[in-house]
Amino acid sequence: MGKAFDLMLIIEFIPTLIQYLGITLQILAASIILGLVLGIAAAIPRLYKIPILNQLVILYVSFIRGTPILIQLFLVFYGLPAILLLLFSIDITRMEAIYFVIITYAISNGAGFSEIFRAAIRAVDYGQTEAAFSVGMTSRQNFFRIVLPQAVRIAFPNMANSVIGSLKDTSLAFTIGVMDMMGRGDTLIAATAHALEVYLSLSIIYYIIVVMFEKIFSKLEKYFNRYQKADVTAVA
Amino acid sequence: MIYLQGIKKSFNQLPVLKGINLKIEKGEVVTILGPSGSGKTTLLRCLNFLEKPNAGIVQIGNIIVDSEKATKKEMLAIRKQSAMVFQHYNLFAHKTVVENVMEGLIVAKKVKKKDARHQSERVLEKVGLSDKLHHYPSQLSGGQQQRVGIARALALNPEVILFDEPTSALDPELVGDVLSVIKSIAQEGITMVVVTHEMSFAREVSNRVLFMDEGVIVEEGTPLEIFHAAKEERTRRFLQRISGESFFTPLKEQVN
Repeated sequence: MGKAFDLMLIIEFIPTLIQYLGITLQILAASIILGLVLGIAAAIPRLYKIPILNQLVILYVSFIRGTPILIQLFLVFYGLPAILLLLFSIDITRMEAIYFVIITYAISNGAGFSEIFRAAIRAVDYGQTEAAFSVGMTSRQNFFRIVLPQAVRIAFPNMANSVIGSLKDTSLAFTIGVMDMMGRGDTLIAATAHALEVYLSLSIIYYIIVVMFEKIFSKLEKYFNRYQKADVTAVA
Repeated sequence: MIYLQGIKKSFNQLPVLKGINLKIEKGEVVTILGPSGSGKTTLLRCLNFLEKPNAGIVQIGNIIVDSEKATKKEMLAIRKQSAMVFQHYNLFAHKTVVENVMEGLIVAKKVKKKDARHQSERVLEKVGLSDKLHHYPSQLSGGQQQRVGIARALALNPEVILFDEPTSALDPELVGDVLSVIKSIAQEGITMVVVTHEMSFAREVSNRVLFMDEGVIVEEGTPLEIFHAAKEERTRRFLQRISGESFFTPLKEQVN
């Protein structure tokens, strides 16, 4: 155990820790954007039942869902340099740890997003597509003008949950040496031996950020639901 | 003008249309009657390739498509000849009333947005919805939604408007509104093919009535011929069953 508990330290640690919020948000933003791209790419073979690719995506999604993100992080951190060196003689062992974190979270988010997109696109009433065809739209026009906007509304609450989950998961990045808020907390504990106070400060910061995200998402959700009946609107 | 030759369609080896031949002149209003499962809705959907026939030739206006080797491009071309009014309205849920009507004009017909808006507003006025332009479909009653559906079809100014049981999903007291809108556009000389269970509508509005059963057109003729002097036993039995139901309507009205 560390030293005697000191309530004031919780407040004192916050400014030090919050300086590293930027890194946390960078990891989050980069992995969400890459995850979106990956998620769309992975949803297409599932929606159009493209042979082989479809099975690969199913395997990818089930593997990501079935393994802890911490292990995925280590697999990427140790595995990716080994594979690249072996196959392409590319040496990335000196690449900064943060990139491994971003890659891991992008792969993880991509799996989740692909399922969310697939379900959302399937959930749009086929009558909408028939109506689009009946007024002379092409498949592409139907997809981008009619189906996608409605799928976004359906997908949004799940996406928002994923983003918040992902934000919290970034706290694992310090395990491979990334100096994010959690990493800085780790060094603070080593320096001061006030572990409990550091973790309380961290939880306060994470909690406030998550609540802010939730507020923003709930506003966005209201916007996306503007054309739904009032009694259907589900604001968490 | 619409011309169908040898239209066949099966679902999982179950034949639904067994070789339909049909010619519809410009300005004609044709209603299709028949028991459920007779293939009347499938026939209508084959006209705009929402169902792709297994065999046969579809012609609308000057577009001719051999359905066996129909390409995407041909299907698109023939769809642009027609417009459809759906049983469940199928309005674009994320678009307002006026945007619903504009959508086809802007995207398929490449009309300028401003012109599309003017045209749409004019058509919506015709169906009595000028005060609902910026409402979303979810904010309208079924009857209002269907009138938007009709406006959406009408705005495209197609060779033919296809109506797929346009009043079947409506509350009884809203049916009248929608039918009177359809009647008024029928009188403008727009070609219409209507699948319906509204016998009074078929009788009063259409130039020609088709009776379908088991994937074939059993009988066709003027409303007078079909309703009062049907030649085929199957037609007479069907109409009897329907009128049997309406025998009770005056009684129901008395009760109310």
